[in-house]
Amino acid sequence: MQRLFSSIYKEFLVLIRDRAGLAILFIMPLVLILIMTLIQDASFRSVKEVNIAMILVNNDNDSLGQAITEGLYESEFFQIVEKIDGKKITEIQAKELVATGDYKIGIIIPERATDAIRGNVNALINKSFKSFKVPGVKKRTRKSTIDVTIYIDPATSQSFKNSVMSSLKEFTSQLEIEMFFKNFSEALAQLMPDQKPIKFESFETIKYEEVYASTTQDEIMPNSVQHNVPAWTMFAMFFIVLPLAGNIIKERDDGSAFRLKTMPGSFVTIMFSKIFVFLGVAFLQFILMLLVGVYIMPLMGLPQLEIGPHKIALGVMAIASGLAATGYGVALGTIATTHEQAATFGAVSIIIFAALGGIWVPVYVMPHTIRIISQFSPLHWGLNGFYDIFLRGGDLVVVLAETAKLLLFFVFMLLIAIVYNNYNKTK
Amino acid sequence: MQEKEHIIEIKYLTKFYKGSSVPAIDNISLNINKGEIYGLLGPNGAGKTTTISILCGLFGPTSGNVFIDGMEYQNSSDKIKNIIGVVPQEIALYPSLTARENLNFFGHMYGLKGKELKNRIQECLELFGLEKNANRRIKTFSGGMKRRINIIAGILHKPKIIYLDEPTVGVDVQSRNVILEHLKKINEEGTTIIYTSHYMEEAENFCSRVAIIDKGKVLTEGKPKDLINSKEEYTDLESIFLNITGRALRDE
Repeated sequence: MQRLFSSIYKEFLVLIRDRAGLAILFIMPLVLILIMTLIQDASFRSVKEVNIAMILVNNDNDSLGQAITEGLYESEFFQIVEKIDGKKITEIQAKELVATGDYKIGIIIPERATDAIRGNVNALINKSFKSFKVPGVKKRTRKSTIDVTIYIDPATSQSFKNSVMSSLKEFTSQLEIEMFFKNFSEALAQLMPDQKPIKFESFETIKYEEVYASTTQDEIMPNSVQHNVPAWTMFAMFFIVLPLAGNIIKERDDGSAFRLKTMPGSFVTIMFSKIFVFLGVAFLQFILMLLVGVYIMPLMGLPQLEIGPHKIALGVMAIASGLAATGYGVALGTIATTHEQAATFGAVSIIIFAALGGIWVPVYVMPHTIRIISQFSPLHWGLNGFYDIFLRGGDLVVVLAETAKLLLFFVFMLLIAIVYNNYNKTK
Repeated sequence: MQEKEHIIEIKYLTKFYKGSSVPAIDNISLNINKGEIYGLLGPNGAGKTTTISILCGLFGPTSGNVFIDGMEYQNSSDKIKNIIGVVPQEIALYPSLTARENLNFFGHMYGLKGKELKNRIQECLELFGLEKNANRRIKTFSGGMKRRINIIAGILHKPKIIYLDEPTVGVDVQSRNVILEHLKKINEEGTTIIYTSHYMEEAENFCSRVAIIDKGKVLTEGKPKDLINSKEEYTDLESIFLNITGRALRDE
């Protein structure tokens, strides 16, 4: 025990005397979490909050143009730009402005677009009242569809494109229905003059209520902070692998490891002292990042992190994640022969683990094979556990499976390090 | 009776590293007596480090046996490690820690504690003239001071056997004298010293017996004076060394 305590104290001294290294250990994760949350905040906000500028060229000057224009203004999703320097934007200008990236989207409503819809509606009514002679309704055949051109910046996200398209389709179909109903009722009135004209009324029969599923009654609003703080905390905690592996390699390079191997006591004692100290660092990183989420992020215009009521579960998850990270660091430091090997392999493998774990792209949108592989990423287990707590209100029981996987990963990594160390003795 | 005086017995020791068809040490047998300063000399790649590594218990031999104070590593690893002290060629210390913090740590690893450890650290620091610098960080020390602390870290627990790998490499004459003088004192108190060096003059004056090894084999062994007197053309240990190992340059 004396050897373990003394070794822990030595590791602690070595750590705190390296001021620059210490600053990197704590400041870099905080910078990472702040920048990533700020960047990703927009993608978690609704389109309405983001209020993206959009060019509108309305050449129709009739009902369709008017409906789309009003709809876009009323939706408040977009900042509509119809004129530049007091002059109405032309289609050519609109295309150029989108092509240069000044605007993300440009909508061109062609001339006589309403006439085209009207013609289609009349054709449909004529077809319906084929056997009756309805005066006033011109006989027209169904025209081909009209083209509302939408210029899109290639860098525009698919989700934003989808929002615009569905908004436009909604405005157009609303107009088509209204027009059809109006013309239909006029036609009907001519056939039955005694009948009172029917007024078009729009009413929502089916309403959509958005409720976030949670295992508890606590309502936690999913937002950029609730998503990003656990994700990037997990990512940053795993980066402790690099200084820990570096510490082991440095000890080997400067001969201290050689000296320690000639002393009584085991390799495991030495490694546990490192794990203990670096686990403490990982836990402190975690606490700091939570504090940033709770107190600093709101000052930067971001939502506040809601920790939820299950603080013990949170602590257990943090320790399990920290152990998984330190275990990985010990294995890497034992196997890698140079700092360069450890730094390159360590950093790239963490990024791969993070990508597979769903830090950037949710796992459910990944291809089937990758989804299966992602089940073996410790960052996936950690992230899932934190999401269970932060977003689904999960308690200790809920995160038990993830905790167990992280602890098993830690034990597995430690075994690899021990086996490799013993193998080296027989070389 | 003769057997009892041997603190280290090396019997038919052979070591092949994995993937190598050439042995690093080839059927070596040596006996080192209690209280000796035994020099293990040889050019680069001769097998000195491999021999010392096996004697320190870093790894085992391919064949043969090593007895340290009558014990073998296979069944008494920690007991052996408690009676040996190793001073590596590298400055195997933590540069950001003070001399005292380093010695405290290594002392604890040897199982020393409390007042015993404190007194022993003070005694060693005084012996090597470093008591005034005890609370300075190692990274601020000169090369000679680092070497002295490096030695203290290996002798704190008063080991029966000390392995010294090039203990005076890269230090000035004054530091070298201090180091060798104090090592002699420690030896006079009964500690056996196994010593490797490339400084033949130093080895000649310092060692009670030497073995010159090359290509994994012991080429000659004996007291430096006896070896020098064994042939007329030998004037000193260096002339013997060059004569039996050759003048060709050696790479590791």
